[in-house]
Amino acid sequence: MIPLAHFMLISAALFCIGLYAVLSKRNAIMILIGIEFMLNAAILNFVAFGKYDKLHMGGQLFALFAIVLAAAAVAVSLAIILNVYTYYKNIDPTVIDQLRD
Amino acid sequence: MNIEQIVFYFFAASVLLSAFMVVFIKNMVRSIFLFFVTLFSMAGLFVFALADFIAVTQLIVYVGGMLVLMIFAFLLSSKTILNKSEVKESNLLGLHHIPGLFIALLFFLILFITIYQANPDQLSWVNNSENVIQVNDNTIHFIGVNLMTRYLIPFEIISVLLMMALIGASHLARREKKI
Amino acid sequence: MPLLTFFINVFVPGKFTRSGFCAIASIAISLLCSLLIFIAMWNQPFIHVQTNWFTIGSWSLNVGILLNNLSVLMLPLVSGIALLVHIYSTKYMQGDPYLHRYWAYLGLFCFSMLGLVIADNLLLIYICWELVGFSSYLLIGFWFTRNAAVQANKKAFIMNRLGDIGFLTGIMILFSQFQTLDVISLFGEKGLVGNAIVTGGVWTSGLHHMPAGWLTFAGLAFFLGAVAKSAQFPLHTWLPDAMEGPTSVSSLIHAATMVAAGVFLLARIYPLFNDTVLIVIAATGAFTAFMAGTIALTQNDIKRILAFSTISQLGFMILAMGVGASASSLFHLGTHAFFKCLLFLGAGAIIHEMAHLKEKTGLDYDPQDIRNMGGLRKYMPVTFVTMAIASLALIAIPLTSGYLSKDAILIESFEWAEGKGGWYRLVPYSAMITSWLTAFYISRLIFKVFFGKFRLKEKVGLHHVHEAPPAMKYVLVVLSLFCLFPVFSLNPFMFEDAWVIQGFPQADNMTRINAFHTVVPAAVNLISVFLIYLCFLWYGSNKPAPDFSKNGLFKFSQQQWFFDKAYNTVFVAGVLSFSRFLYQFDLIIVDGIVNLFGTIGRGFARISDWFDRNIIDGLVNLIGYLAGKLGKLIRKFQTGRLQQYLVTMLLIILTLFIYKYYTAAI
Repeated sequence: MIPLAHFMLISAALFCIGLYAVLSKRNAIMILIGIEFMLNAAILNFVAFGKYDKLHMGGQLFALFAIVLAAAAVAVSLAIILNVYTYYKNIDPTVIDQLRD
Repeated sequence: MNIEQIVFYFFAASVLLSAFMVVFIKNMVRSIFLFFVTLFSMAGLFVFALADFIAVTQLIVYVGGMLVLMIFAFLLSSKTILNKSEVKESNLLGLHHIPGLFIALLFFLILFITIYQANPDQLSWVNNSENVIQVNDNTIHFIGVNLMTRYLIPFEIISVLLMMALIGASHLARREKKI
Repeated sequence: MPLLTFFINVFVPGKFTRSGFCAIASIAISLLCSLLIFIAMWNQPFIHVQTNWFTIGSWSLNVGILLNNLSVLMLPLVSGIALLVHIYSTKYMQGDPYLHRYWAYLGLFCFSMLGLVIADNLLLIYICWELVGFSSYLLIGFWFTRNAAVQANKKAFIMNRLGDIGFLTGIMILFSQFQTLDVISLFGEKGLVGNAIVTGGVWTSGLHHMPAGWLTFAGLAFFLGAVAKSAQFPLHTWLPDAMEGPTSVSSLIHAATMVAAGVFLLARIYPLFNDTVLIVIAATGAFTAFMAGTIALTQNDIKRILAFSTISQLGFMILAMGVGASASSLFHLGTHAFFKCLLFLGAGAIIHEMAHLKEKTGLDYDPQDIRNMGGLRKYMPVTFVTMAIASLALIAIPLTSGYLSKDAILIESFEWAEGKGGWYRLVPYSAMITSWLTAFYISRLIFKVFFGKFRLKEKVGLHHVHEAPPAMKYVLVVLSLFCLFPVFSLNPFMFEDAWVIQGFPQADNMTRINAFHTVVPAAVNLISVFLIYLCFLWYGSNKPAPDFSKNGLFKFSQQQWFFDKAYNTVFVAGVLSFSRFLYQFDLIIVDGIVNLFGTIGRGFARISDWFDRNIIDGLVNLIGYLAGKLGKLIRKFQTGRLQQYLVTMLLIILTLFIYKYYTAAI
């Protein structure tokens, strides 16, 4: 029997790795991977707690939905990254700074 | 320490290690393949949370679908992305890494403290729960029944949303004459 | 029955299609449904169906449908007029390249208006209110390539936002007092507002209480919302500008339905208003009605005349709300919707023809200017007859619907003023003068357009002008039927017999004074008829136009319009001459003294100059330098880099979290 706290710790660590990737990577695809890490961390928590809900399967089904949504998000954001590349000839998010004053 | 725990911690270590590698390795292609390893180990962890169906879905959707999509998009688009992406990233303690690193560590610290204080294994609803999934339960049966009764509307909405994302992605990615 | 209303809600958004026929079909279905509801529900106890929308903490927000007399009256009114306007638009908007966009906007408007009518919750009403304003914004700016249209829709939107602030403030006050937004539990027969007590300057309801001033403030805030939507005095300027939109839109939104939303809101939350607010409402209504009436006298753009007339009539409705005659106000809302819609559509037909004429002859003139029209009676007989009926209804000649509703308002305001006495009598008298003004300006419009000679005749042949296409013609005929009395009451002279009035609880605080019931209508009508005749003499005859401008009365009304200009000449000239005198005085006497002081002062000044330059300037420069540095520092945050924004955001969240967490823990 694995204690719940361990699941949560692993997911916290994974989340923070993803956060780091999102915040400081110089490549849009790596940022996307970071987002996937964070999503996976959340899903792990859902699944771990979903163990205690056999009747309604809330946690596991939510995890299922989250996976599907993540797949959709990845498809769309890859398309966006491709478009950004054709426009700027670059996928470094620090270069895309047209919001600057 | 029995075999179950050994396997679990093995998977956990592989998740964290490969995630670290993904983030800190410089070669893009390698880090994407290491991402594959992370997701694979995550599926292993799901099995230990008695969610075999989720684990299988993870393998099929993430590893089978998404990752392949990523690598295809990555390799097929053009070689220049590949070349551009290998800009030399400065070392770990480079200036632009510091804020990200700081916030990530702070976040981990807070999460750690919170988990420690919340003490999830002693929660009353966890200890007194009547319907805990047993190891030899058939979860797929429950998932199927619930998906078609209790969660029918979310299921339908998700399917529509998936279709929309599909159309939107193909629309965005199509090659236009001029932008 | 709730099922049917649900169908309305389902069908109306179904109109987002490209074809106008789909739109017409769906609005026809919703008209059918609302008529069915109307027949089944009129004078029945209200139906209230609710469902839980969301829950915040222990407080849950229920939304649903409320059908009482008020809303079932509005339902067929809105959908009926919308249907007629839709049919009309098929011809009027023919050939416009963005036609599908037009239908979509109209559909959005109809949906939100119907939603506004049946919503049972202040929040839901607010949402629909915003939607209505937004779709009106889109429709005013429909011809977005015209600069004037863009300016006008911006103006309308901003004016409406001002009102929305008021509405939102009112909602917040009510919520903090009563902890609910449900219309029934707030304003129902045994509602919370009715049960709340004002004692000793404290407004108490259950466990909650706040100073009584807030009650007045909430009433005024709601009224501000209604003022903006119904184009009342301080915020009325958007409505004439909104005429930049297509005429069919003006007729649907800015004459018949949307501007009535303000009146509708006042009727919904009527129990909230205390005496102070009611007086403000009545005074605003009376002033607006009078002001818009005088302005309408001298306008030359056919749509602008109608717009000011709309403002004036809305002033009447607001006035009626203020004096407690809410039933008459709603009655006037219904009748006004029909005849004003008819007037606009007729004007649209005329503009349509004039624009065609302009295209064919290649002349450059304004197709909306009534000075260019005249003698159209022979060429557009149906338009003439229907518009004449509508104008008679607007003037409130007996046998028309306008007579019933307008006289109801006038009589009840007289009765109200009789009960109050004093300065309150200004309100009904100004209303009465306004109704005479109405007679004058609308008959001026009719005579100028339809009688006399066509004023461009020397340049063009009139054989191009012909009757409007059938789709427009039949709509006009149908609408003109609704301007006659039998639709609303079998007795053409007694407004109390109208079924609309009987469907609402009567205001009981007024004593019925029989004298007013005969004197007021008689006075209004006699003078109106006289004014119409006068108009005919001036504008209906074949004499050329310059003859009228020498007439004293015309000049007088023109001065009404240039009221502020007259003020300018009188006051500014006076002040200027006075100041010239003062200047002379200054030059001779004051300057002498000042010069004396000046030499003394110069000595001081040298000292203080040194002080200034070295110490004060130094301080000021330091502050300026610091501000500049700070600005540069802040500017650096706007890097446009997403990741840096994210870092900043997370840092702030973490700081707040740690602060809250550890202060709570310690």
